[in-house]
Amino acid sequence: MEALFYIFSVIAIVSALMVILVKNPLTSALYIILCFFALAGFYILLNMQFLAAMQIMVYAGAIAVIIVLVIMLLNLAKIKGAIKDFHQIVISIIAIGLLALEVILYLNAAGEKKPTGIYTNAVINKIGNTQIIGEFLFTKYVFPFEVASILLLVAVIGAYIFAKK
Amino acid sequence: MIFWLITTLIKILIVFGVLLLSAAYLTLLERKVAARIQNRLGPMEAGFHGYLQPIADGIKLFFKEDIIPADANKLLFILAPIIVVIPVLTTFAVIPFGAPIKIFGHIVPLQITNVNIGILFVLALSSLGIYGVVIGGWASNSKYSLLGAIRTAAQMISYELSLVLSIIGVIMIAGNLSLAQIVSSQAHMWFIVYQPIGFLIYLIASTAEMNRVPFDLGEAEGEIVAGFHTEYSSMKFAFYFIGEYGQIVINSAIITTLFLGGWEGPFLPSVLWFVIKVFLVILIYLWFRWTYPRLRYDELMDLGWKILLPLSLANIVVTGFIMILLGK
Repeated sequence: MEALFYIFSVIAIVSALMVILVKNPLTSALYIILCFFALAGFYILLNMQFLAAMQIMVYAGAIAVIIVLVIMLLNLAKIKGAIKDFHQIVISIIAIGLLALEVILYLNAAGEKKPTGIYTNAVINKIGNTQIIGEFLFTKYVFPFEVASILLLVAVIGAYIFAKK
Repeated sequence: MIFWLITTLIKILIVFGVLLLSAAYLTLLERKVAARIQNRLGPMEAGFHGYLQPIADGIKLFFKEDIIPADANKLLFILAPIIVVIPVLTTFAVIPFGAPIKIFGHIVPLQITNVNIGILFVLALSSLGIYGVVIGGWASNSKYSLLGAIRTAAQMISYELSLVLSIIGVIMIAGNLSLAQIVSSQAHMWFIVYQPIGFLIYLIASTAEMNRVPFDLGEAEGEIVAGFHTEYSSMKFAFYFIGEYGQIVINSAIITTLFLGGWEGPFLPSVLWFVIKVFLVILIYLWFRWTYPRLRYDELMDLGWKILLPLSLANIVVTGFIMILLGK
C-alpha cells in the first residue's frame, strides 16, 4: 500500500509539473488527465471508491473533455514561442510563500490520528461508503450541499446568458 | 490465495480472448446482417459462407503499410488508438457473466472483480472512450480528422448526460451500485419491466456514444471522408475497429446486466443465458444501424438535449414517486 502511495505521488507531481512545462496545449491537457487519475488512485487507497469513480467521471470524463474541445477549436498549436511576462512576479512569490507555509503547518499538525466518529473503516466497508456519503450529504452537510447547488445553478444561468449574447 | 490468483488470471484470459474474438467476428456478423437487410448474401468467399473473413481481414491489416502523416504529432497519433481500446477491454472486469460456480470446494464468482461501485466504474470508463477519438483526430493534422473529432466530442458530451441519467432509475430500484447485486435483485422480475423508458434511452444514447449510424457524424463518409480515422492505416486503423465493436459487446452486456436480468434464467446454464441475451441486444444494435439514415447535426443535438435529457430526468422523478407511493 505504501509503495502504491509513493508511485501515485510521483505520477501526480510529475504530471502536474508537466502541465505547466510542456509547450503543446493539448499535451498539457493530457497530463492534467493523468494527474486526475493519480488523485483517483489516492482515493482508492483511502477506501473511497465512490470519490475515485466520481473523480474520473466528472474531472477526467467531463471537465477535461471541455478543455480539450476548447483547445481544438482555438487551434492553439500554431502559437510559436512563449510570451515572457514578469509583471506578476511579486504576487506569485507571495502565493508560493503562503503555500509553502501551509504545507509546513499541515506536516507539523499531522501524525498518527485515530478516526473520531462512529464510522471506523470496518463499519464503512460493511455499509459501503456510497451510502454513508449520501447520508451525510442529506443530513449533516445539507446546508453546504444546497449552497453548492445554488452556486452551480447561478453558473449555469450565467453561462446561458453569456452564450446568448 | 494462490487458488484465487490462478482462477482470476484464467478468468481475465478468457474474458480478454472472448472479447477480442467477438469483436473480430462482429465485423462479419454486421456484414451478414447488412446483407440480409439489403437482400444480398454478404461475404461468401473466405471459408464456408465467409466464416474465415475476419481472420483474412486481420492478416491483411497486419501486413498493410503503416503510414504516419508528415505533419502529425507522432506520439499522440500512436497513442490515440491505444486509448480507444484500453477502456473497452477494462470495462468487462466488473460485469458478472454467470452464476458463481464451485471448483474443488471453493466458490468462484464468474466475474473478474466485484467492486461495490461497479456501475460507476463502467460509466467512468465509458466517459474516457472519447479521448481516443478526439486525440486521434487532432494529432492527424488533417481538416477532415479535426472536424470529425470536434463533432464527436460535442456529440458525446450531449449524450453522456442522458446515458448516465437513464441508469439512475435502475440504481434506485436495486438500491445498490454493485453489478452482482443488481443482477441478483432481478431474480424475480427484469428491470426492463419497471424501467422501459430507461432502457430505450440507454439504447439510443449508447448508440450515440459508440458513434454508430444514425449518430455517426464524426465519421460521416459523405461529408468528411472518414472523420477522425481518415489518416489511419494498418493495425492502428484496426484498433479503432476493435474499439468500436468491443464497445458494442460491452454495451450489450451492460444492457443485459441492468435491464434483462443478467445471467438469470431457467433450465440452461447461466453463462449461456448471458451469451444469448447479449447476442440478442447486439442484433438490435446492428438492426438499428441498417434501418435508420444518418441524422443531421441540428437534429442530433435536438434529440439529445430536447427529448432524451428531459425524458430521462422525468423518468427519475416518476420512478421516485412510484417508489414512495408503493412504500419501498
